Amino acid sequence: MTEAEAIRLAQAGDAAAFEFLYHLHSRRVYALCLRMVNNPSDAEDLMQEAFLQLFRKIGTFRGESAFSTWLHRMTVNVVLMRLRKKSLPVASLEETTDPDEETGGPRKDIGAPDLRLSGAVDRVNLERSVEKLPPGYRTVFVLHDVQGYEHNEIAGIMGCSVGNSKSQLHKARTRLRDLLQEEVRQQARQERHAAKTQTGHDD
Amino acid sequence: MGAIEGLCEPLHDGTSGICAKTIREERGRRPAPAPVECQVMECKELELVVEQEGPAPLPEEARAHVATCVRCREFVADFVAIVSVARELPAELEPPASVWICLQSQLEIEGIIKTPVVAFPAHHSSWWHEFISPFRSRALATATVGLLIIGAGVLQQLQQTHEPPSPLPPGQGWQIPFKQTAKVLNDQEVDMRNMQLASTASTSPVDDSYRQSLQQVDDFIADCERRVKAAPEDDLAREYLSNAYQQKAELLSAMMDREGSVH
Repeated sequence: MTEAEAIRLAQAGDAAAFEFLYHLHSRRVYALCLRMVNNPSDAEDLMQEAFLQLFRKIGTFRGESAFSTWLHRMTVNVVLMRLRKKSLPVASLEETTDPDEETGGPRKDIGAPDLRLSGAVDRVNLERSVEKLPPGYRTVFVLHDVQGYEHNEIAGIMGCSVGNSKSQLHKARTRLRDLLQEEVRQQARQERHAAKTQTGHDD
Repeated sequence: MGAIEGLCEPLHDGTSGICAKTIREERGRRPAPAPVECQVMECKELELVVEQEGPAPLPEEARAHVATCVRCREFVADFVAIVSVARELPAELEPPASVWICLQSQLEIEGIIKTPVVAFPAHHSSWWHEFISPFRSRALATATVGLLIIGAGVLQQLQQTHEPPSPLPPGQGWQIPFKQTAKVLNDQEVDMRNMQLASTASTSPVDDSYRQSLQQVDDFIADCERRVKAAPEDDLAREYLSNAYQQKAELLSAMMDREGSVH
């Protein structure tokens, strides 16, 4: 069965077609939901809600956009709606990361240690930092850098322009860089503290 | 790159140069113009390039700037590292099988699915094939939970075969292999209901859907038990019952997990 056939059959209420479409897309949708809410139970709820909304409206699908884009748009809407309702720390989509006032280039904290992230970024601290991103940034970052969507596809999913998608992604990466640097700094502080404590015990 | 190209004329090493436009303007006014040094690209422009085109691969002008600017070099290297690790994260994750069970049940309730998925046709072999197909993938997902419970039932059955046969009341012999399984499941269900009572009663559609699914599985178990009771030697019927218990185990496990994480 192809996706187009499954859509046509699902529009007629065919059970196997719904199951086919679900299994075709569920893994990507679940990964997106899980990275957005960081809680498996909430992710399952949101995924079910997104598919339910999709299947309720499947009769209206005319194929103007790709089915997966339609599904992802619905998923992103459901997730962002839930995050707004739960009043989780939500920052505006237009929130900016202030550039360096002097040069206009990449900002750098004065007095901060010179941190090179290239050897310090791993999956664990990246995932931890992604969790701290505002939902708008997180959505674009996950869609582009994790799930591999192009900016024109993200623009379709998010209902924004390609330029806006690029700008959001850049801000997301910049914020992640700050968060990761803070993470590395924190780890260095803890190591220093542990070493100091150990030295104190030895004396 | 329009804002960057034409702004400066790079030196032979391609890193910096004399701003040609400035020189031309200065020549018109002053007899001895002082050369004004400027970089091929400024930090702000590099950030714009990275925003529009990503951190890699960089255009030649941007590479030239990065070669001379430590701050931008670190900035680009950090971005490259972030993108590289992000691409290693799995883009797809397998959701629990219970999500489809709940969704399917909800779609049936709302009348969106118009054809039944699990039917009980009279024909023996077709009944088996119809039934077993939706359980194939789920059985894998529930292996850890279901097999423990079913294993207990099978173990008890084996123990029974080694013991001398004892007279049983007519019609109750079918219960022996699954007696322990049913007891474990019932205890689990009681625990789950106690958890629900202890917490605020949830009105979430997912909770409702779970309850409806549990009711459906219970009804199905009742059907299977009737079949096994009517034909205790029917291995296929016993297997259906075993699968139904696995379904119930999975649902109860999912419901308890949910109670634990939500409330």
